[in-house]
Amino acid sequence: MATQTEQQVRKLTYVQAFNEVLAQEMERDENVIVIGEDVAGGGGKEGFEEAWGGPFKLTQGLYKKFGPTRILDTPIAENGFIGAAVGAAATGLRPVADLMFVGFIGVCGDQIFNNAAKMHYMFGGKVKLPLTIITATGAGVGSAAQHSESLYSMFAHMPGLKCVVPSNPYNAKGLMAAAIRDDDPVIVFNHKLLMGGIGGGQHVPKDPYIVPIGKANVSREGTDVTLVGIGYTTYQCLQAADELEQQGYSVEVIDLLSVSPMDDEAILNSVKKTRKIVIVDEDYPRCSVASDISALVAEQAFDILDAPPKRVMAPHTSVPYSPVLEDLFIPSKERIVEAALEVME
Amino acid sequence: MAQTKTRNLTFVQAINEGIRQELERDPNVIVMGVDVAGAAGKADQGFIDHFGGSFGMTKGLIQKFGPERILDTPIAENGFIGAGVGAAATGLRPLVDLMFAGFVGVAGDQIFNNAAKMHYMFGGKVKIPLTIQCQTSAGHGSAAQHSETLYALFTHMPGLKCVVPSDPYTAKGLEIAAIRDDDPVIIFQSITLMGMNFDVNVPEEPYTLPIGKARIVKEGTDVTLIGIGLTTQICLQAAKQLEKQGYSAEVVDLLSLSPLDEEAILESVRKTRKIVITDEDYPRCSVSSDISALVAEQAFDILDAPPVRVTAPHASVPYSPVLEEAYLISETKVLQAAMSLLE
Repeated sequence: MATQTEQQVRKLTYVQAFNEVLAQEMERDENVIVIGEDVAGGGGKEGFEEAWGGPFKLTQGLYKKFGPTRILDTPIAENGFIGAAVGAAATGLRPVADLMFVGFIGVCGDQIFNNAAKMHYMFGGKVKLPLTIITATGAGVGSAAQHSESLYSMFAHMPGLKCVVPSNPYNAKGLMAAAIRDDDPVIVFNHKLLMGGIGGGQHVPKDPYIVPIGKANVSREGTDVTLVGIGYTTYQCLQAADELEQQGYSVEVIDLLSVSPMDDEAILNSVKKTRKIVIVDEDYPRCSVASDISALVAEQAFDILDAPPKRVMAPHTSVPYSPVLEDLFIPSKERIVEAALEVME
Repeated sequence: MAQTKTRNLTFVQAINEGIRQELERDPNVIVMGVDVAGAAGKADQGFIDHFGGSFGMTKGLIQKFGPERILDTPIAENGFIGAGVGAAATGLRPLVDLMFAGFVGVAGDQIFNNAAKMHYMFGGKVKIPLTIQCQTSAGHGSAAQHSETLYALFTHMPGLKCVVPSDPYTAKGLEIAAIRDDDPVIIFQSITLMGMNFDVNVPEEPYTLPIGKARIVKEGTDVTLIGIGLTTQICLQAAKQLEKQGYSAEVVDLLSLSPLDEEAILESVRKTRKIVITDEDYPRCSVSSDISALVAEQAFDILDAPPVRVTAPHASVPYSPVLEEAYLISETKVLQAAMSLLE
């Protein structure tokens, strides 16, 4: 007979968890549609449907189940299909639009920043925009400067958008369900390495559930230093925490999950306990979420801090194509450990 | 005969003069944008130079330099900014007018993925001497989409230089510096500054202000006020009020957001030990966050009090005049923030 634990553990990868929540939300609510390049695959070519299921397979299998009126392959024209999704959201559907890589924001910035973000406000609350945009982020897979960015800081800068960054299969499913059910535009940032399987499978409940937007999670409790992670860097922070533990330090890891709205309270509560903070962010450093967190603790916890806040970040440069340089670009476990030791000394 | 010491120009006149002088100096400089000449294609009907740009910054240039160098474009920012990037990559020095900063969404790919990255991606073999100017600031009843500041979006992006003039003198000097720079430079021009009177000398001769350098516009010892463009003028007004109450405020005029003159900020804070950062842009992931983080990380032991920011709220710019007024950075807000540190 299987033990209780074996029955409870239902391991899914990040992509499987994501795929499952899309299917469940589409079953739950007929207004949910998926729109984007290759979300079915082989756009318009009979027999080639499902050739792709999205570039990261997040939408694989949905076309067969829900058909071409709800899983819509689009041309490579982000301004067109994101704009269509904004309009669909304003008029009663709950579209999930796949922006593929986050760096494509430049093509549909008007639709996201000027339409999606502002319509609820500009129309005096008379229109709701239950739009979810999913997009792939992150360096580390040799995709060079234009396909390796993080850029969630640009979206977090803009009032009217909610921004979430899952860090594992469990919160990927819960945040995605929350995003689809939310009445405001939500951008979901999926890191390529997480979709590629880093961190491995994890227990993911089968029944639909929600991870609330705007709440951080304490992934690991500790008392000596706070590490703040965002998406993939949470995984790195947990690795660093293991190593620091071996050296005798008790490390708290905050998984930010939501960059807008940001859970200021969770960060401040942790810092009140540890009095030291290292913020780990893969996005460009200028005008970033990491800057916001450093400023937040400086302004709200000035007298509590034992040491200045510290940021471990990408440099202020484009993502290199050279593997050697790309390796140096990404915040590494080693750099996190080093930074933590520095603030604890 | 002695010349008059002060040569007053408006913000717009100073920019117009800077652009004209650069067009004279270098035949590779061109100007592109919506209505930069005005009444595109209707020159034969006498409509030439009808506009001179939405704010008159390019007025008079079409007569002098002709339609090959002053190019009116359709309302298609992706098209003409893209053309500007290509022209810059192949030998010209285009000055492109994006009009309102909020239009970046239409030309984001051209700015963020092409202009910002080409020098890097081509291994330094291509230079992009492109200047983009755009207009910023709330306070004019232009509602959410035409009142933004947004320089944080551009500053976030490696490969772009970002400057914000604060008066006619800096407007001319930074305009010329931007045009002569071999990298893409974005100039953010506050519409509010365009309507203000300044008693500031603008030399007739061309001059440049170095990109990446802040300047101290008022020395002081009790508190540092950081201004960006329009907010520098607001900080100066607040500093006068503080003076009356017996406090000596130092005003740092940032001028360049990317690169940021960190040393100038830190040097001032080492002297005053207190800082108020003023910024019209949205507060999240902003230049003001960067500065607050900078002083926290680099001057932690020197600060007498936590950094204080005076920014717009995290909300779209309201159309209602009452709400828009509350949205703006005011002298009173800066004064209150400074007093909270001084008392």
